[in-house]
Amino acid sequence: MHAIVVENLTKRFGEIVAVNNVSFKVNKGEIFSFLGPNGAGKTTTIHILVTILKPNSGSAFVAGHDVVKEAREVRKKIGIVFQDPSLDTNLTAYENLYIHGGIYGYSSNQLRNKIDELLKFVELENFKNKVVKTFSGGMARRLEVAKALIHEPEILFLDEPTIGLDPQTRARIWEYIEKLRGEKDITIFLTTHYMDEAEQLSDRIAIIDKGKIIAHDTPENLKSMLGEDIIYINAENPECFDEDFAKDCKILEDGRIRISVNNASSAIPKIFEIAQKKGLKINNITYHKPTLNDVFIHLTGKEMRDKENSSQLMRRRFR
Amino acid sequence: MRAFASMVYRQIKRFWRGKSRVIGAIINPLIWLVFFGLGWSKVFDSPMARQIFGGIDYISFLAPGLMTMGLFTASFISGVTVIWDKQFGFLKETLVAPASRKSIIAGRIFGDAFISLVQGFIILLFTFPLAKSLKISGFAPVLLVGFILSIAISSLGVSLSLKMASMEGFQMIMMIIMMPLIFLSGAIYPIDTMPKWMQYVTRVNPLTYAVDASRNLLLGISKFSLLLDFSILSIIALFFLATAMLLFERATIE
Repeated sequence: MHAIVVENLTKRFGEIVAVNNVSFKVNKGEIFSFLGPNGAGKTTTIHILVTILKPNSGSAFVAGHDVVKEAREVRKKIGIVFQDPSLDTNLTAYENLYIHGGIYGYSSNQLRNKIDELLKFVELENFKNKVVKTFSGGMARRLEVAKALIHEPEILFLDEPTIGLDPQTRARIWEYIEKLRGEKDITIFLTTHYMDEAEQLSDRIAIIDKGKIIAHDTPENLKSMLGEDIIYINAENPECFDEDFAKDCKILEDGRIRISVNNASSAIPKIFEIAQKKGLKINNITYHKPTLNDVFIHLTGKEMRDKENSSQLMRRRFR
Repeated sequence: MRAFASMVYRQIKRFWRGKSRVIGAIINPLIWLVFFGLGWSKVFDSPMARQIFGGIDYISFLAPGLMTMGLFTASFISGVTVIWDKQFGFLKETLVAPASRKSIIAGRIFGDAFISLVQGFIILLFTFPLAKSLKISGFAPVLLVGFILSIAISSLGVSLSLKMASMEGFQMIMMIIMMPLIFLSGAIYPIDTMPKWMQYVTRVNPLTYAVDASRNLLLGISKFSLLLDFSILSIIALFFLATAMLLFERATIE
């Protein structure tokens, strides 16, 4: 049984195709990530899945219901943490959760225990009656996670859950997400442009670029596409190696040579030997186990930078 | 119904926390009453002038107008703050909720109307010592007029901001809509002495009927019958409320 089924989904904004014929399935109970640079179409896809944006074509089923025709049914079963904060900063943590719960139809009595329980879950029980304005970015995010869980959704959407947060806070949010999977029967769909985040949390990852899914598998399988080790060579007049040990060789946009090999420690001496014969002048050479970043470079020929969208950050601060 | 009540609660809580807004909304009409009203009151203190104002002193004439103006400003601004929610996520959150969108936005509007009403009442209490001719018996019914007006105006504000793309248009709308509506309502000077074309405009201004009804209830002077005032105000309020609910129902984030 699938929690989310998306088929040939397309969304255009004028001339721009934000989501281009995307298809994928999310299994029940797994953490599924959309990994891609800013502007890849991640948020647009989430907005379609949570029924606040209509696709131009294709279909999407969330919790067994069509997001266009049965939007109301879908809404009952999902929770979402938006990329932009959606808390009332003039209200307290409790009031924020209370109002949210009320909008979902819960009575005051039902909410009282639930809110305490959730505030405990995100370790904000001591800040219950504090105004959200005084919260740090990480605390606010945690409160948003609690808010999205109030109505016990089957599927939780997290749009860039740790954007703009410092490393410790990010690690803490990850802990909650992992704890959530352990404790509750919930499917999580998250988008991120952080490789480490996708790798740490996901059961499966879809790598998305320019509105298209370009790869779609478990983190291990994605990385094993590239062999055991990856070697990057910075050289003058770069050219590729076609010897047996090089499983794949490519000259990148920035001029580096990238070679996938099974064993870097035995391949590097050979590389030097061959380079000397060819007259190739090597300036430096590095190697490591493949990461998702290497996978992205392999698939798109460009680096996926952890560059934050400055306008988003500005808005976060402004609040 | 729970969603409706939650939204009313949210608006009231939010308002209560924003103390500066509370004070600002009350102070503004009081400044008008004291500096504008007292300033002119001597000028208008002749039998002929009194006749223009319906046989009462200018401050008393002005007081119901300023209360209506205060209500109008407060409810319009609170309605337009939907654009703030639009910019900062809360709108998105209400859009993904399974609750009826109509009841969510109606809850917001009723919450705002209630707040405006409280502000109007406070303004009225302050004007009381200065405006000698006000009838206490009119206080309760005048609040009903205020409530209907607030529903109308805050619905109008909500509808406008749902159609507005950004906050840039905000200032302009305030200038273009709010100021003329106030001047063309008879709140500050009588309608009968305005140029003819202005008098025509006052007829299509919902504020006119609220001012007229308030003056009728608080002073016993009026241009239209109370029934007419109430009917027109109610129709306008229902119309704007329905528009706001419909627009919100169809809202997407595009």
